[in-house]
Amino acid sequence: MLSHATARDWLIPYADGMLAADERRRIDGHIAGCAACAAELREVRELNLLLVTLPPAPPTSVAPFWLKLQAILPQRRTLRIPTFIGYRRVGLAFAVASIAVLAAAATAFAAPSALPDNPLYPVKLFEEDVHLALSAANDRVSVQLQQAGERLREAQAMAANHKPRLAESSLRAYTIMVDDVAVSLKSPTTPKANKDALHALRARLGAVERENANRDDDVAAIKQLVAAAVDELDRIEQQESATPPTLVVGEQATPDPTPVVTPKPTPRATPTDDGDRHEHRD
Amino acid sequence: MARAEDAPSPEGDAEERRLIDRSAAGDQEAFRQLVIRHHRLVINVAFRALGELSLAEDVAQEVFLKVYKALPGYRHEKPFKHWLHRVAANAVTDALRRRRPVVSLDGMAQPPASRESDPMDVATRHDLQKAVRQAIASLPSHYRDTIALQAFGELSYEEIAKTLDVPLGTVMSRLNGAKRLLRERLGDLVYGEEANTG
Repeated sequence: MLSHATARDWLIPYADGMLAADERRRIDGHIAGCAACAAELREVRELNLLLVTLPPAPPTSVAPFWLKLQAILPQRRTLRIPTFIGYRRVGLAFAVASIAVLAAAATAFAAPSALPDNPLYPVKLFEEDVHLALSAANDRVSVQLQQAGERLREAQAMAANHKPRLAESSLRAYTIMVDDVAVSLKSPTTPKANKDALHALRARLGAVERENANRDDDVAAIKQLVAAAVDELDRIEQQESATPPTLVVGEQATPDPTPVVTPKPTPRATPTDDGDRHEHRD
Repeated sequence: MARAEDAPSPEGDAEERRLIDRSAAGDQEAFRQLVIRHHRLVINVAFRALGELSLAEDVAQEVFLKVYKALPGYRHEKPFKHWLHRVAANAVTDALRRRRPVVSLDGMAQPPASRESDPMDVATRHDLQKAVRQAIASLPSHYRDTIALQAFGELSYEEIAKTLDVPLGTVMSRLNGAKRLLRERLGDLVYGEEANTG
């Protein structure tokens, strides 16, 4: 005979279809004579219904999504092209020539000061990519810092124009660029110039924060992004950490304040060929 | 939830592996192909979690950016899709936590949703969904990560176990705990007085 407490512990896996057939039968038997468990089961199913009916996104186009994403993708330091060496040289020469032609054409049409709400903005980003790709190795850091500063100028302008989403995007792009350049900054070839550039970035971050704070509807996300960016600048300047930021997958960075609550008894995993197992969407 | 049409063919696997390797080497065209393949999945996870398309797209951008940056360290031992789900779940729950103060569950005591589709019911359901999202955001991290994969990623218990690389029993235990807490925190908002007195 199943106790009331055990039956209650099993209600959620029961509603999720995760119990074996004999366990389900025991719960069925208990619920038939227990109004409290029957009511609780209805509540569990209400919750499940709510969870599974969160709607999917409306149709969206991937093309503009990709364009926006591409604009903030960091450049890999080495691009391996697995083809014959001869073809590689020809391909690289062709690519450099194409980039030069495209860069020249883009320069003719795109305003270097285009903001994220300008249709020419993607061209500006492309120009920046070309500029960075063609920069000498010892100039790359200063070019990257300069481009990071440009993202902050855009963020400030977008915050002033009441376009917080674009301001956030520019701040995120800035963060990625600074992440990318942080490693190089640990062994600088031009420490004075880099220090000046970091000071300039800090000043620009302050300007973004002030612009955001001046608005009646200041955006918390912008405030947080600026705060995180200032912290990152502190970290870079103090050079406390020797490792680049890594992706945390699965575990959150914050400690878990609540101990694990293990149901009593723990429901048993049943063989995968049990059809009941796949019925968790009750 | 396991869906047969989602299972990649061996050819699809090989192609995806090639795209991953090329993306890891810096080939943005290959990465564009990967984004096209998985864009819908990530947008759906983010939209279910956040309920606003513009926010969902921003978070999806973050997800793909993290993936791109982490790809050089990716090993093919685990299916790419599971890894992507995990990155997406982390990103959306982080985004939800950043937005937590916007909605107070205490101030939302309203009648339970009916099954009817009148405008009032739609608004109520929208509020309920918002409350559920915020309640999920308030859970301890191990519960939050697990139930996010079920509620936002629509993964089955087995898929969640593979994605998080934990035993099936752990998934069951965490979902049990997560739903108990959700029921406590949502209280009358979901179940209404009728259920409480029943």
